[in-house]
Amino acid sequence: TVKDNTGEPVAFANIAEQGTRNGTTTSSTGTYSITVKEGATLVFSFIGYKSQKLSVTSAQTLDVILEEGDSLDQIIVTALGVKRQERELGYAVQTLDADQIEEVKAVNLLDNLAGKVAGISVTQGATGVGSSSKITIRGEASFSNNNPLFIVDGTPVNNNTIFNFTNEAAAGFQEVDFGNGAGELNQDDIASVSVLKGPAAAALYGTRASNGAIIIETKNGGKQKGLGISYNTSFFVDTAFQLPQFQNEYGQGNSGQFEYVDGLGGGTNDNITYSWGPRLDAGINIAQFDSPVTLPDGTVVRGGDTSLYNGLSITPTAFNSNPDNLKNFYETGHTFINNIAVSNGFEKGDYRFSFTDLRSESIIPGVNLDRQSVAAKLNFTPSDKTTIRTSINYVNSASDNRPSNGYGSENVNYSLVAWGPRSLNIDNLRNYWQPGLEGVQQYSFNYTFFDNPYFILNENRNSFGRDRLYGNVSLTQQLTSELTATVRTGMDYSNEKRRFLRSYSTNRFRNGAYAEHDVTYREINTDFLLNYKNQFDDITFDASIGGNRLSQTASTRQVQTTSLAQPGIFSLNNAASPIESFGFRSEKRINSLYAFAKAGYKNFLYLDVTARNDWSSALATPFTADNTSFFYPSVSTSFILSNIVDLPKVIDFAKIRASYAQVGNDTDPYQTQGTFISQTPVNAQPTFTNQDFIPNQNLRPETTSSVELGFDMRFLKQRLNVDFTYYNAVTSDQILSLPIGISSGFSQQVVNAGSVRNTGVEVVLNAIPVRTDDFQWSSTVNFATNRAIVEDLPQDEGRLTLAYSRVYDSQDQTVWHQVEEGGRIGDLYGTGYLRNENGDFVLTADGRFIADPELKKLGNYNADFTMGFNNSFTYKNWDASFLLDWRQGGILVSRTLALAAVGGQLEETANRPDAGIVANGVVNTGTADNPVYVQNTTAVSAESYYRQFYDRNHEENNVYDASYLKLRQFSIGYSFDLNKGALGLFNDGAEMRVSLIGRNLFAFSEIPHFDPEQLAVQGQGFVSGVEDMSYASTRSIGIKAGIQF
Amino acid sequence: CTADFEEINTNSNAPVTVQPSLLLRQVIYNYGEEMSYEGFVAGGLLGQHMTALDFNLFDRHALKSPQLGGDPWPIFYRNLRDNELILNQSRSSEAFKVYEGPALIFKAYMTAALTDIYGDVPYNEAFRGLDGIVQPKYDLQEDIYLQENGILDNLDKGIAAIENYTGSIALDGDVLYNGDLQAWVRLANSLKIKALVRISDKENISTRLQELYDDGNYIASNTQNAIFNFTDSEPNNFRMARLRAGDFNNFVMSETMEEILEGLNDARIDILFRPRGNNGNGDDYEGLLNGIDASSTSVSLADYSLAGTIFRENTGMLDANYMTAWETNFLLAEAAEKGLITAPAQTLYETAVTQAFEYWNTTLPVDYLTTTAAYAANGNDPIEQIITQKWIAGVINGYEGWIEYRRTGFPVLKNISASLNNNLIPVRMPYPAEEAALNADNYNVAASATNNNDINVPVWWDE
Repeated sequence: TVKDNTGEPVAFANIAEQGTRNGTTTSSTGTYSITVKEGATLVFSFIGYKSQKLSVTSAQTLDVILEEGDSLDQIIVTALGVKRQERELGYAVQTLDADQIEEVKAVNLLDNLAGKVAGISVTQGATGVGSSSKITIRGEASFSNNNPLFIVDGTPVNNNTIFNFTNEAAAGFQEVDFGNGAGELNQDDIASVSVLKGPAAAALYGTRASNGAIIIETKNGGKQKGLGISYNTSFFVDTAFQLPQFQNEYGQGNSGQFEYVDGLGGGTNDNITYSWGPRLDAGINIAQFDSPVTLPDGTVVRGGDTSLYNGLSITPTAFNSNPDNLKNFYETGHTFINNIAVSNGFEKGDYRFSFTDLRSESIIPGVNLDRQSVAAKLNFTPSDKTTIRTSINYVNSASDNRPSNGYGSENVNYSLVAWGPRSLNIDNLRNYWQPGLEGVQQYSFNYTFFDNPYFILNENRNSFGRDRLYGNVSLTQQLTSELTATVRTGMDYSNEKRRFLRSYSTNRFRNGAYAEHDVTYREINTDFLLNYKNQFDDITFDASIGGNRLSQTASTRQVQTTSLAQPGIFSLNNAASPIESFGFRSEKRINSLYAFAKAGYKNFLYLDVTARNDWSSALATPFTADNTSFFYPSVSTSFILSNIVDLPKVIDFAKIRASYAQVGNDTDPYQTQGTFISQTPVNAQPTFTNQDFIPNQNLRPETTSSVELGFDMRFLKQRLNVDFTYYNAVTSDQILSLPIGISSGFSQQVVNAGSVRNTGVEVVLNAIPVRTDDFQWSSTVNFATNRAIVEDLPQDEGRLTLAYSRVYDSQDQTVWHQVEEGGRIGDLYGTGYLRNENGDFVLTADGRFIADPELKKLGNYNADFTMGFNNSFTYKNWDASFLLDWRQGGILVSRTLALAAVGGQLEETANRPDAGIVANGVVNTGTADNPVYVQNTTAVSAESYYRQFYDRNHEENNVYDASYLKLRQFSIGYSFDLNKGALGLFNDGAEMRVSLIGRNLFAFSEIPHFDPEQLAVQGQGFVSGVEDMSYASTRSIGIKAGIQF
Repeated sequence: CTADFEEINTNSNAPVTVQPSLLLRQVIYNYGEEMSYEGFVAGGLLGQHMTALDFNLFDRHALKSPQLGGDPWPIFYRNLRDNELILNQSRSSEAFKVYEGPALIFKAYMTAALTDIYGDVPYNEAFRGLDGIVQPKYDLQEDIYLQENGILDNLDKGIAAIENYTGSIALDGDVLYNGDLQAWVRLANSLKIKALVRISDKENISTRLQELYDDGNYIASNTQNAIFNFTDSEPNNFRMARLRAGDFNNFVMSETMEEILEGLNDARIDILFRPRGNNGNGDDYEGLLNGIDASSTSVSLADYSLAGTIFRENTGMLDANYMTAWETNFLLAEAAEKGLITAPAQTLYETAVTQAFEYWNTTLPVDYLTTTAAYAANGNDPIEQIITQKWIAGVINGYEGWIEYRRTGFPVLKNISASLNNNLIPVRMPYPAEEAALNADNYNVAASATNNNDINVPVWWDE
């Protein structure tokens, strides 16, 4: 029987045979029985009690009394790597351990955090495996930068996404996303992920932590002596998650007419690829791109082989639907992740060495990602007072092809979804050269705007290879019993080479093109910390001072030619036009000094104070460094009510906490001085133009001030835990590029201005609803809501544009991220059609919509709230879990809807009555001043109606509710007891586990055409709230097997 | 703690100051390149040289919805900004003094095109963001033309600066005249002729114009033209050569153009346009009425004529047109015909037509000037003939064809097929939406003077 120190039986305490998976739990009366070998050690444990070990000599009854104790105190890694007991903390931190990361891995680490932490928001990129994901913590408070800081083993690592240089909107390279820096951190090496959500938690990390920090600790060798080897493998089968829903009634053409001649307008409507053509499957034959043409010598070629014949007639073929053409285009993808790790603990330390190989073949033909990661970690204690730690990680990521983002002919969705006519048999495009013109002239269904999608993916590739090395070395020396010193230096270095290949006959590059893009990043952080720790009676005291020097160098250089001499040779030596070069190198240094102190009084009251001063080179001008220093403090306190007040017995633990913090934030380099930019050479002579932004020599740092309150309560022997946080933060003096009218000669001005108030609530609820001898169901709910309200703008009135997403360079076809005073960050603006005060569309007398040029608020892209619901079940050796991710509210503006509906491709346009469609709206039969509105009764043709309704110039009709409920991940696993079953072949502690796993399996959403999680790219940055010709995301189902011995 | 910060935060990627030659080459080329493209995709639609088959809200006169081009505002202000830097350098450094005249002349040139398109615009306070003026006031068009430091004044000052220049430092970066300062004087005089004729309904300009004509120091022959010769290959080819086939094929001959060229039996049709695909009835050239409703009208590209190969395959044959002999002579012919100056109108007209054929690499048919284009013959209004001939020759010359239509009513443009402007031909371009948002106080003054930025309110010289 297991009892507590008051004599009450302890139900469901865990009893385990040490070093094995053999174990049981106590009954409701505290009794138990277990069969073990003689000499085994039993470990008795239960949350809220100190665990006890007892060895078994022979069959016997062991009665155990558990003492209440420290196991409440989860150890948390906080800023600067300081390990703290969770109960001491005066701010919210949420931690994920290795099990929560490695069971169902994602290719991008950030996707693996979605739904698991209250208050973080993760959105995946639009171009499949290898895309960037965007993460924010507690919403967006800055007008410019909301990227949290990532720390691995105490050293910052970058989470940059660097896009290639693009030029002219409809001629030139489109943006390609080569992934975000934190996405490639290896999940098999992660021991824990702590999310420091607010400024108080992160204040010690300085300027970059104003958006929170994500602290990753990698796995150590472990305390046990002897060699440990683990191997695990995950194999996922990836399929398209959600494809657009098409109409299959009408094929290519306009006004019901179509005939292919040359795909350039030589036939009937064969220059455009709308599906407003003849009925499909009606038994009619029409000349098409894949219909046969017989040459005079009897050879049969395809209609689209237009270079091979002239004036010959194309034999019409059946004009049929292809309902699964896009489905068949996407392939079944695979992701195969293998990890082997060797670890060892020895007399004076431990080490771990790990190798991970990730190979992913995308569902998009020809797109892939390979990634090899090596991690080496050594902790060495040469003497009692000295510890040396090293953590070294090397990652190589590479892809043969990363698909292009956004609207335009380099994105295959442009020719397959938006402008892929429903009569198109995509399969007939696989043979994508015209015969005898391999490498010179592609074969396609249309030659006006479009490239053959297989040609794009196989020939016009965007490849990359990236080497990345990050890690650190540290030395900790205990100087006296109270005084410890640590010095550490760490680096994150990456070097990436990208190649962009464009073949002859590409619509944007008729003579091909080639570009090389090199991206290099290096950041070195060197820091020291001096710690003093002591105890005076009831008071524990711990104070530190430290300093850090950050040196950052980033460079990027793209060299390109936009026509090639010899087809098929992708080299700058083969340039047929002047080689252009775009490059940028920036350098930044931040020096910092900081101090922090924490005091504890009698185990129930804790107080933390921090202070930090930064000196940032980015605030210096070429003439003075006077404005570069800034100071910010924080204070936080934790009060454990349950340790001094007698609370009802159901309450095990109660803590309230409060904090106030400030964090300063600097800016990018070179905002204090203007330069001239080189432009297109004229007759091979150089040209320069002034930059378009006005620099500011008097920049000040921006400041975030935050108040955070919270409580942590645990009930019913910790079967129910509630953690609640409220925060209220103001970010002011923001450094931003304020748009100004180009009539000033400049389009932007760098200023300090504006303030945003960010408030929110986070709730984390842990519960164990069911627990029996064999079965346990435990559950975690993460709930968060956030509002970022703009309190002050730099200008007197009107709205400030923060970003936009645009089709080509058309101002009209633009979704604007704008804010106004009193408005929210994330408000989206666009145009729509004229409405009266009742909200009815006001139509013309002939039944057509009237464009309203005024920008109107379309909605806000941020969720009203997010909720993650994670459940895990164990039954004997079985376990299972699933994670539901619910996002409620927010909007998404869809380009796929706008363009593919105007093109007549989507199911929304299937209904095309001969009598036309009567638009739902009113007609003004009165005057402008005294309107009389009567319901419209005039029909327009279906084609005309849909083309107007979804017109890309007017975003209002192309808005979806972005809410979804997703089954984010699940697993069902079984663990084998190897030491028993395998006849002593393995050591104690050996285990093997096999599980069925899945990611991104299912979503409830109002959006029929694509994954509701979307992120667009514009002007080398991400734009939230816009879906811009996205590729299908993936549904992954797989198997994971692991063995450890 | 801040050692080396000044150096670390100094941008080593790009120069902080540049030689004026680098800016001058940029301003002249960029303005010509951009405005030639505008002339094809937007100005040519308003002037009914061309029409767009799709993405054509602009062609339907929804001028606040430009799609492919149609927003020239930033072209002017960026180049005026860089030009102003040249001007400042020329005035602050003796070594750069030679740039003052050309910079003043080019400023006047760009300013005239700007105000002719929009009417009242930011000018005296404009492109001075570095002086802290980020919300410039609008100036009246009348003042921009006539006041000190306005268009005419700057042309005079530009000429004076050249005449007074005694240094020997060459004008570098001059892609128009390769540093020939006297050519700049001729350009300035041609621009004065153009400006004076343009405001001739408002101001008595006869004396000044007569003086210019009598002096004869203007662009009088094609060898003196202010042009930039596009190349066949990148990067200095015409932009239409770089765009996708569909972007080029979106534009076909306007019906207005077809009727005029066919009415004149004008040989330039062979170079400006290409025969249509479906020419079964033997009619090679066909134009389409501007401004179709693409959402309800289906047209077959093969039925219409695309622009000629000089606009795509052979752009080495094409020029960016800043100012030409034929334009000057047409202006003088008009002034003479109207009695503003004493000069032989017919001779000027015939010289101009001959030069315009030469400019477009077309042999002038021997009977052209005696039959279809014979001056004042066949009941023709000579003014209409002069303006129409200038309109034909002015393909891709920015918005000039439309601007002169507004001033003279010629050539008679057609009612477009599906107007979004109540069947009115617009008489000014609207201020861009960003002015309303970013320069609101000053915009509001200008907008209220134009009936809330209405495109049917004439500019000052057109009132």
